[in-house]
Amino acid sequence: MSDSDLSSKYVLQTAGFDARFPNTNQTRHCYQNYTDYFKCVAAKGEDFAPCKQFKRAYNSLCPNEWISKFDDQRENGTFPASLEP
Amino acid sequence: MTNINNINRSDFQYFPFHLVTPSPWPILLSFSLLTMAIGAVMYMHGYSNGGELLSTGFILTSFGMGLWFRDVIIEGTYLGDHTRQVQKGLQLGILLFIVSEVFAFLSVFWAFFHSSLSPAIEIGGVWPPQGITPLDPFAIPLLNTILLVSSGAFVTYGHHALIHGDRRGAILGMFLTILFAVIFTILQYYEYSEAAFTMSDSVYGSSFYASTGLHGLHVIVGTIFISVAFIRLINYHLTDTHHQGCEAAILYWHFVDVVWLFLFIAVYYWGGM
Repeated sequence: MSDSDLSSKYVLQTAGFDARFPNTNQTRHCYQNYTDYFKCVAAKGEDFAPCKQFKRAYNSLCPNEWISKFDDQRENGTFPASLEP
Repeated sequence: MTNINNINRSDFQYFPFHLVTPSPWPILLSFSLLTMAIGAVMYMHGYSNGGELLSTGFILTSFGMGLWFRDVIIEGTYLGDHTRQVQKGLQLGILLFIVSEVFAFLSVFWAFFHSSLSPAIEIGGVWPPQGITPLDPFAIPLLNTILLVSSGAFVTYGHHALIHGDRRGAILGMFLTILFAVIFTILQYYEYSEAAFTMSDSVYGSSFYASTGLHGLHVIVGTIFISVAFIRLINYHLTDTHHQGCEAAILYWHFVDVVWLFLFIAVYYWGGM
């Protein structure tokens, strides 16, 4: 099986190093990207491509349980950050 | 008698210390404290009759303390047991006690800074947390700061008056101290009842009421301490050179004042920004 066949189909990467969150505890990194994605969408609309970067980041970084918890909180209006742009 | 001889030698002691006569208060107070502690735990965990046990323990503890301190006053003022050496021992005792209180406050301040310096994402990653409206530090808290600092000045004035034999000045100083202390307490009670958040409102509420509440209890205790000294002053218990209980109360009161300053700066001002 050749590596080049696979690598041409899938680009495997995760969120890059963010100097704002240099330590082992990456909770804030996940949370910040989640918040930034929805603020970005609120400001620029869902079709604005650069917003997708935040979405990719939080999907990589955050445990799925957290993502569904955050989504539920947003629906209930209890998400603990302002998502206004 | 004009001399000491072998027959009456046993009536005298050749050391400056006070060997206290047997007293029931220490053991009584220890059981009262245990009752209060168990009552408090029961009450906070919802067990039946917890509140009653807590109240019983509290009343027993208060009376036990009152009776013990009454005996100390009798020994010092009426029986003459408090030589200079004994006075110094009592002074060291109150100093060490205040040091232990400092550590107690250090723990609540630690808890406050732990939660506020790196706010959790569950509260929005900000301090004050999302949804919390803190009190305006430049309203009642600033007034309270002025009240406490002034009361510290009044008590120092009163103390100096006492040392200089100025009875009227000493009584006035102590009275104004107590007055301002009571006004502080009333204003804090008002703030507590009008605040937009309770102790259950996130770690903000918990750390706010734990720290300011512990301080408030100390203000109440300190007020009682100063009041006892005030009453003793009026009743001619104190002299210009011998007034350990009064000095202890004053020291305790200054400690309460300093803790408030830290609270005002850290919890009210910085914590509310």
